Amino acid sequence: MVENRPWLTVTRHLVLILGVFVIGFPIWIALVASTNSSSEFVSGLMPLWFGDEGFGNFRRVLSNEERVLGVSVSASWMMWNSFIMAMVIAVGKIVISILSAYAIVYFRFPFRKTCFWLIFLTLMLPVEVRILPTYEVVASLGMLNSYAGLTIPLIASATATFLFRQFFMSVPSSLMEAARIDGAGPFKFFKDILLPLSVNNIAALFVILFIYGWNQYLWPLLITTDEDYYTIVMVIKRLMSAGEGNIPWNIIMTTTILAMLPPVIVVLGMQKLFVKGLIEQEK
Amino acid sequence: MATVSLKNINKTYANGHQAIENLNLDITDGEMLVLVGPSGCGKSTSLRMVAGLETISGGDLYIDDVRVNNLEPSERDIAMVFQNYALYPHMSVYQNMAYGLKNRKVPKDEIQKKVEKAAEILEITNLLHNKPGQLSGGQRQRVAMGRAIVRNPKVFLFDEPLSNLDAKLRVQMRIEIKRLQQEFATTAIYVTHDQVEAMTLADRLVVMNEGNVEQVGPPIELYEKPATQFVAGFLGSPAMNFLDASLNGNRLTLSPDVVLDLNDPNLPTGAHDLEVVLGIRPEHMEACDEAGADFTLSVDMIEPLGADTLLYGYFPGTDTLITSEQPGKQQFKRGHRLALRIDRERCHLFDKATGKRLGS
Repeated sequence: MVENRPWLTVTRHLVLILGVFVIGFPIWIALVASTNSSSEFVSGLMPLWFGDEGFGNFRRVLSNEERVLGVSVSASWMMWNSFIMAMVIAVGKIVISILSAYAIVYFRFPFRKTCFWLIFLTLMLPVEVRILPTYEVVASLGMLNSYAGLTIPLIASATATFLFRQFFMSVPSSLMEAARIDGAGPFKFFKDILLPLSVNNIAALFVILFIYGWNQYLWPLLITTDEDYYTIVMVIKRLMSAGEGNIPWNIIMTTTILAMLPPVIVVLGMQKLFVKGLIEQEK
Repeated sequence: MATVSLKNINKTYANGHQAIENLNLDITDGEMLVLVGPSGCGKSTSLRMVAGLETISGGDLYIDDVRVNNLEPSERDIAMVFQNYALYPHMSVYQNMAYGLKNRKVPKDEIQKKVEKAAEILEITNLLHNKPGQLSGGQRQRVAMGRAIVRNPKVFLFDEPLSNLDAKLRVQMRIEIKRLQQEFATTAIYVTHDQVEAMTLADRLVVMNEGNVEQVGPPIELYEKPATQFVAGFLGSPAMNFLDASLNGNRLTLSPDVVLDLNDPNLPTGAHDLEVVLGIRPEHMEACDEAGADFTLSVDMIEPLGADTLLYGYFPGTDTLITSEQPGKQQFKRGHRLALRIDRERCHLFDKATGKRLGS
């Protein structure tokens, strides 16, 4: 914009500052709370500046030697569980959906369109809607309290399949024809041409799906009774309903900060590829 | 070194549309055969059937007397250059050219030798480590050519390879392709909709229309003796003029005022009021004085091209717009009345009903 009106600039900045405040303040509160001792919270007010218990809080939560989390496993173990769950879901979703999109776009088989629409229809049935039947299936397969039970039911993804399908359809068919003439069979074409071309899309999807898997709450809550399989997100809610008087805000906030870290690391680490994958097509 | 032969080739799509009807072509060793026609005439489909990218609905396709109908494209030993180049965007130029050889399990050092040699011929050695995205259209075209020649295939297939280039580059690459094809003496099939490209590149030209072959032959023969009105109208720029006429023996009546006496012994004898179409190229109507003129053209529009000037106007007494090509040095104005004489030796007559050529 070439306009130069001072009040417009001021308003613009005010709006932006307000936005940053709305997003940033809760994170600030969490960060500050995670460094204070539990006695700071007795008054019922959140402290607004750092205390000196930061290392102590993180050490206690990560090791859980004093059972501050109210469960028998440590935060580091639960973060490991969450990490496994998020990784398996993200990688699994990408593998399954890129393969099914490849089949739907490049192969002519009976009921190809039907298959696509069936996959597409499952968009209408997210985990929350089908949670009881899914639980029933997982329970009868004996997958309660296992990593398989945590991840497999969440792996199928219509969204990712659809995204890959759209991307594959934008790849000129002459590339496939050139590859056929160059002696590349279906698998070689997929491995040598299609997969390298999809790298940006895969990265963008990975970021989204990792966060999706990491933030799962309802499903792990439902199918895990063994504390060994608890995820970090589940335990935050458990801490809040610890009952009898004092809610351990410093412990909750420390856990929250820990739970936020991996998604933040993934987003920051893959930011470049993520943006590329969402806006750019390789020519 | 190969011959390609198409015998009664048919192509019918799943929706029942017949794209190709009984196509018969024999391409001799080292020949450059050009398929030309308007879009939808089946020329690309024919090429893709030779390549193996389209299934053949009926008939037999032979490469070097081996029936290849059911062979995969990679087993036919052909190389194809695509209109949009179809270079693998994530691979370097070197990898693009090496990919086909790599899949054929050619040893690494041999691949390197072959790619480097091809790159040298095409003058793209300095680009070998670039990605296609960093190249200009002309350079990409060279890489696509390189990918084809590096394998030294039996047959080159070109699918409108120059359509995405600008006019100047197109002329340059056209000469390049001709040079390469002659140098390697490889059998080639070339598809284009551009009749100039077709005329200049072809050893033999195939004009196609609506899934049928209209005429096959050397370009000059097709230009001078088009077998049908379609071929006559398709080849040559500016396009041939067509005028409705009636034929009585050797006497051609274009309008009550314009009657030509043709001196062609091969015209059908005893033609009586036969409805025909006269085809005459714009360059075959000479400006002359009023006395020797067949008709006078009232100039409606002028296109000076430099060397020549194109004049447009209605043939007297009809609403048929015709074109005349005159030397560029003469100045014309709109409304100019130009006396023209039709070259009797260069008249083409076609049966109005069938479109077939009459006479010689």
